[in-house]
Amino acid sequence: MAHTRSVIAPLSRITTASIAAARPELPKLTSIPYQTIRCAATKSAPKKKKKTRNTFIQYDVKRAEQFSLVDAMQYIRAFEVGRNPSSSKYEMHVRFRTLKNGPVVRNRLRLPHPVKTDIRICVICPPDSKAAAEARAAGATLVGEDEIFNQVKEGIVDFDRCICHTDSLQKLNKAGLGRILGPKGLMPSTKTGTVVNQVGTSVRNMVGGSEYRERMGVVRMAVGQLGFTPEEMQRNIKAFMDALKKDIAQMSDRITKEVHEVVLSSTNSPGFTLTGEYRGANSIAPKELSGPL
Amino acid sequence: MVNIVKRMRKLRELLWIRVGPGALILPKEVTKISMEFNTKIIGGHRGARKFWREMLPRIKYRNPALPIQISRHSDPSGPSLLHIYMSANPGSQPAATSSPATTETSTPPSGTPNPRNTLTPDTSTPTHSIDIKMKGESEILDQLIEKTGAVVIQPTPQELGELEEIKEFKERAEKDRVDVREKLMKERREEELLRLARGEAAAAT
Repeated sequence: MAHTRSVIAPLSRITTASIAAARPELPKLTSIPYQTIRCAATKSAPKKKKKTRNTFIQYDVKRAEQFSLVDAMQYIRAFEVGRNPSSSKYEMHVRFRTLKNGPVVRNRLRLPHPVKTDIRICVICPPDSKAAAEARAAGATLVGEDEIFNQVKEGIVDFDRCICHTDSLQKLNKAGLGRILGPKGLMPSTKTGTVVNQVGTSVRNMVGGSEYRERMGVVRMAVGQLGFTPEEMQRNIKAFMDALKKDIAQMSDRITKEVHEVVLSSTNSPGFTLTGEYRGANSIAPKELSGPL
Repeated sequence: MVNIVKRMRKLRELLWIRVGPGALILPKEVTKISMEFNTKIIGGHRGARKFWREMLPRIKYRNPALPIQISRHSDPSGPSLLHIYMSANPGSQPAATSSPATTETSTPPSGTPNPRNTLTPDTSTPTHSIDIKMKGESEILDQLIEKTGAVVIQPTPQELGELEEIKEFKERAEKDRVDVREKLMKERREEELLRLARGEAAAAT
């Protein structure tokens, strides 16, 4: 974002200010251009500098082996045999045809079937306030002040996220929980954005949402639990791809970006390039894949 | 993203999950398979783990609807068992098998660390319990086939040919790897010698 703005900025303004604006972009330029430059410098310093490419090397997907969703799922389920179904996840990798130094896709979305349904969220606020009611409605499991402090002090920490209401921050700091919650990364602080006023909305965002961003021309995200049926997976994948396409369309006036390859994999399986079809000519019935693992 | 060539090679080698020992179709009576063994191989649990890693994917691929569960304990002297559940015997078996299925569809699988405990506990007794301690993976497979009467899928000549090809390729790769390594080591050694010589020269002058 900052990068394009600096390009659009008029030439007359290219002074220290615009350089400063471009600087935060530098580390984001991905490490590869750096490395290639460095290699070229050490290897052939006297020679002419090789022209650096600004696109990723692309390959022909048509020559690759491709699978329909049901086939890929059959293989993946075979690879994940005997694993704990809650610890293994389906992942999607979407490769783009894009510039190396262009703007990146970055957003968050809520899948129709959330991957991680029961994140246990603890909200620290006065238990009889309006904020507490909001938090409970949004799906927080633990709401309160002193009870939670006592519980944590005894060593019972049964939540994965912790949010604190702005008014309760003082009380929290006085309780001295940093020693216990700090190492777990659960201590609320303004820096990490876990001290908020609108408790309800932030809890809701935390419960179902998942974030994705493009790195090296690839967007990766967990799209399903291993126990999902093919239909559920199809809906999730569709939602994810639609969201991606929308993001691409939003930046289409600045840059062209196209989906190059879609790969479905899981924690313990290789990646399967998807054809985009639900089931192939001789794949098994989807019903067989919907049972427990 | 992993290099395309690497990925495609992995997919070509997927053949192993379609053919080979363990590629069999279990009869319909078998409702569930579960295993129980140690997390470490010490104490005769090696075969069990091998069976899980090598044979179970093939079984699962050919019988996608069959639930397979594994629970691993941390006691080396503990049991190492293969349970086979069959619906042929009358009693609580059909009810027990159908109830988890219904709960599975109504509630989404949970993301808690140990959801198996939250599901309906499996109280039904297995039809066959095979002790697989100190046994190799092929022995275990033989016993499984014997107990269930599974039909083994024979690989087609084409698949056999492909398997042969992959094997040949791997052999060649191993040979190449040795060659390249030798060459690399030689280069490095020479470089090291050169460096030493130069260093000594610098020290002398």
